[in-house]
Amino acid sequence: MLIISTIVFLVIRVIPGDPALVIAGIDASESDIKAIRAKLGTDKPILTQYVDWIWKVMRFDFDTSMISGQPVTQLILERLPLTLTLALMGLVISIFIAIPLGVVSAVKRWSAWDYLGMIFSQIGMAIPSFWLGIILLLLLSVKIKLFPLFGGGTLKHLVLPAISLGIARAAVLLRLTRAAMIEELSKEYVVAARSKGLTERMVNYKHALKNALLPVITIAGIQLGYMLGGAIIIEQVFSLPGLGRLFLFGVYQRDFPLIQGGVVFVAFIFSFINFTVDILYSVLNPRIRIS
Amino acid sequence: MNNLIIRTTGLAFMVLIIGGLIAFPGVAAAKALNFALSGNPDTLDPHKTSGTLTFQTLKSIYDTLAEPDMSGRIVPALAERWEVSDDALTWTFYLRKGVVFHNGDKLTSKDVKATLERLTDKATASPKAKEFAAITAIETPDDTTVVLKLKEPLSPLLASLASGWGAILPKRLIDGGHDFANQPVGTGPFRLKNWVRDSQIVLEKNKNYWMKGLPKLDQVILHIIPERAVQVQGLLAGQIDAAEFVDKDDLPLLQDSPDVKINKSLTSLILVMSMNCSHPVLKDVRVRQAINHAIDKQQVLDVAYSEGRIIGTFMDYGNAYYKDFTHLYPFDPEKAKKLLAEAGVGKDTTLELFLPQNYELHVKAGEMYQAMLSQVGLNVKIKLVDWSTWISDVYRGAKYDLTVIGHTGKLDPDGTLGGYGTEGRYVKWINPRAAELIDKAKTVSGFENRKMLYDEVLELMAKEGPFMYLGTSFRHVPVRKNVSDFRMTPILDTFDFRWTTLK
Repeated sequence: MLIISTIVFLVIRVIPGDPALVIAGIDASESDIKAIRAKLGTDKPILTQYVDWIWKVMRFDFDTSMISGQPVTQLILERLPLTLTLALMGLVISIFIAIPLGVVSAVKRWSAWDYLGMIFSQIGMAIPSFWLGIILLLLLSVKIKLFPLFGGGTLKHLVLPAISLGIARAAVLLRLTRAAMIEELSKEYVVAARSKGLTERMVNYKHALKNALLPVITIAGIQLGYMLGGAIIIEQVFSLPGLGRLFLFGVYQRDFPLIQGGVVFVAFIFSFINFTVDILYSVLNPRIRIS
Repeated sequence: MNNLIIRTTGLAFMVLIIGGLIAFPGVAAAKALNFALSGNPDTLDPHKTSGTLTFQTLKSIYDTLAEPDMSGRIVPALAERWEVSDDALTWTFYLRKGVVFHNGDKLTSKDVKATLERLTDKATASPKAKEFAAITAIETPDDTTVVLKLKEPLSPLLASLASGWGAILPKRLIDGGHDFANQPVGTGPFRLKNWVRDSQIVLEKNKNYWMKGLPKLDQVILHIIPERAVQVQGLLAGQIDAAEFVDKDDLPLLQDSPDVKINKSLTSLILVMSMNCSHPVLKDVRVRQAINHAIDKQQVLDVAYSEGRIIGTFMDYGNAYYKDFTHLYPFDPEKAKKLLAEAGVGKDTTLELFLPQNYELHVKAGEMYQAMLSQVGLNVKIKLVDWSTWISDVYRGAKYDLTVIGHTGKLDPDGTLGGYGTEGRYVKWINPRAAELIDKAKTVSGFENRKMLYDEVLELMAKEGPFMYLGTSFRHVPVRKNVSDFRMTPILDTFDFRWTTLK
């Protein structure tokens, strides 16, 4: 976390752009800009700024936004529920598409189902989620007025963006599920189970699927992190007031505390997800617990 | 088993969709106008930003002492009238009686004094403070009279007072350290009901507004929709009643709709390709003139921008101070080649053209310029930069050869021309005569007197060409057919919903 904090702190100061100039506008005089810099504290030496900030972060204080003047923590917490709901819905959608289709594809290899699944995953990986988002908007909000065109606040606003996010991720997950399942099905214990006289169903869904799910869960967990990233673009398309738009405008306006706070926060979420996945893994797979 | 899987998947979708349908959003109140805003304002404190979105929103919440009318002339608003002394050092404003703030406070001269003091206070660090720096004392002889004492004559002050940052705030709240950034309180036609960041701003009618019978709408909802395609679909579907402007590419779609009409008006933009006159090649006036001859201006206006009028100097076409110099630079590639040959510029020079990538239209124009300049034998390399980089490196640092931008016209010509002719402006065009005239015009009052001085400045700028002057573009404002009298304040480009009605 400390390394990430340091990197982001340095990177945003190395790239050109000055928040004081953004606030002052292009017609401001040199003295106005100095006054604004003094107010923001960006006129102090970089080392002083860095120490100040790290000291604050250690006490869970992410400072206040240079542009809106509100505490960064408050800004993030305001936006978090929407983006988190969106990412989770996207994950649920991708899992519900990917796992059933992946399993069927693997069990009935080279069947019509398999081809359907492969075509879906090929297309799903190829089309960008924002494009899918716009197409879904045109179809389901404009042509058939099933969903709202813009605005936020209700679950209904999140359905289309979640589908757009979910489909791209489902494509990846589907491939993985299929591969994992095929691998498990070719293992000796499956042959043994079959020779014990267990039904094909028992073998496929009780024994093989359980083992095949392990790598899938790992990836699904990581996917959740990507969903949060994908949300940045999707929120823009669907006019949703989420974390993505907050951070995007933070970068546009060189709102240093907001960008720094945002990156540290996202890094934290990523580590938290990885940690949870590790725990989940050992619950599902006793072999890991033993070793 | 396969069926079970399919059924589960289907069920999950159903739950998601039905869950969404149940949470159906409420229907908006009667006489509410839905407006598409393309971004979230940084703050709603008129003294702490220079952001256009902020002032576009605040026009409905705050009033100023004076304001521009639809022709761009400055007319009385909170001040009924004003007088300027003969030496132009004492300005007296007489306030309108019976004006009330949204919190119930009566408007008095004390509020004006407190506002101007807040604006110029170092602690506020207002980006516009310098426009008011000439004020040395503010006197309030009675409740409705404000006297401003200036240290030097300053004609542009009236325009500053009439701009969004001249908004008058209530003294009681200023003294109490009120959070104006989130809860603006003014005397304007609407009050802020709520603001959900990046989602919507709801404005509610101010029943006690000082203009009798106005505003006509009960509510204005500003929906923050960054994606233009969504704005257009909203207009077509009727979820949006009006938007700020429509891109050229979307025009046919809206024109075909029986429900939408397009209002066409001139913007206040001065569209240019700026040239760095300190560059060894661009230093030569012949090269700059050649560039002015090499561009087919009407074509660029029609293709890259949404059509417009060609200009020949550094002033927007619709401005009262505009003077026509377009005859100086007809489109003439042969003449351009000749001028370049005289200046000894050949294939071995390459100029870097910096384009602000967030402005799609400028990028498109820049690509056309590149092609047209290569026709006359100038090599141009395009560099795309983001907006913050453009401001700090190009505009502040003058680290560029050529760049494409639109300067917004100002209420006062000094806002447009101030600083040119000196080292201070990014084109690095040094002309002591122009600088002297610009300084002098600042202290002279009366339109005719000032125009004489500015005419000469504009002529110098036209002849020496620190810019390639393109033109002033049109703005296409889309509104639904049932909306009438949605106005945009000229030059300031703020939204004026006071007269707007919905059928």
